[in-house]
Amino acid sequence: MITAERKPLSEIKAMIAPYRKILVVGCGTCVAECASGGEKEVGLLSSALRMDAKMEGREIETKEITLDRQCVYEFIEQLSGLVNQYDVILSLGCGAGVQAVAEVFPEAYVVPALNTTFIGETKEAGLWVENCRGCGDCKLGYFAAICPITRCAKGLFNGPCGGSKDGKCEVNPDTPCAWQLIITRLDESGRLNLLQAIHPPADWSKREGKGPRKIEREDQKT
Amino acid sequence: MLEKELGPRIRFFPLPCSGRIEPLHLLSALESGADMVYLVTCPEGVCRYQEGNVRARKRLMYAQKLIEEIGLERERIELVVTTDKDLLTIDGLTRGLILREAIVDPSPVRVKKHKGKYMDSYKGVRK
Repeated sequence: MITAERKPLSEIKAMIAPYRKILVVGCGTCVAECASGGEKEVGLLSSALRMDAKMEGREIETKEITLDRQCVYEFIEQLSGLVNQYDVILSLGCGAGVQAVAEVFPEAYVVPALNTTFIGETKEAGLWVENCRGCGDCKLGYFAAICPITRCAKGLFNGPCGGSKDGKCEVNPDTPCAWQLIITRLDESGRLNLLQAIHPPADWSKREGKGPRKIEREDQKT
Repeated sequence: MLEKELGPRIRFFPLPCSGRIEPLHLLSALESGADMVYLVTCPEGVCRYQEGNVRARKRLMYAQKLIEEIGLERERIELVVTTDKDLLTIDGLTRGLILREAIVDPSPVRVKKHKGKYMDSYKGVRK
């Protein structure tokens, strides 16, 4: 899941300040799960913006709509016929959603209401934790499905640094030591032998330095 | 009955449990013109549904933070934790809240800027 957090209201206000008619577009997938851009958050933000405008003696008009997925053109099409009725689109999608909406409606002015943060999991109600860097070279199979790149503060591939205390990371005592977790899980499942392999440094060229990455599959094309 | 007697001064929105409250409910009340929004809950630890009132308090605090961002006083949304005695006399509780409300300025959301006349007449009603 891609996580995000709402921008400060002052920043959102500054972006939409010149406009009166605002189309507030949420996304019902990742950002709904992390309670930043779903239907409820669209309602809350719209209400706050309307009250703020009233208090400043301005009139604004908002229309709220939440797409199932804001990063897929088939769902974005639902905005057809609405976009040209509004001065600005305030997107509560992740960065991919904002850009996809702008791609479909290049004539529209699309602004983000969220700061896209990381790929993570819902640990418990109200707690989301980063667990994937999208490095493009997944090695979870060797590390008991615990990513040392993301979850070890030092991103170590070949064993613990030795600085952990009581199973907690020395860099951030709130965080469990990823290597403690890896070794414990491998040990309990009788796969400690996996640690005998030596892993070379990560190949970051698969992620960095070549501009945006893309995945292309002929079998999925129409 | 109480709503009828007090007219537009107060509206009741019964919930099956305070844990049903969403921040949007509180904001909608303010947006529709309320000067104050009170969320009345049972004391913590006695919720029939385990922790409905705990969740209600947290959501109320979230809504308070949001209204502060737009320049509204956080006190306009208030948590009222009742005692068993209060629950038996919601009438008395309500009248007490209304008396307290009299010291709160009219909501700037409802009172349009530069409309002194409206403000004056409103104050008259409040007296």
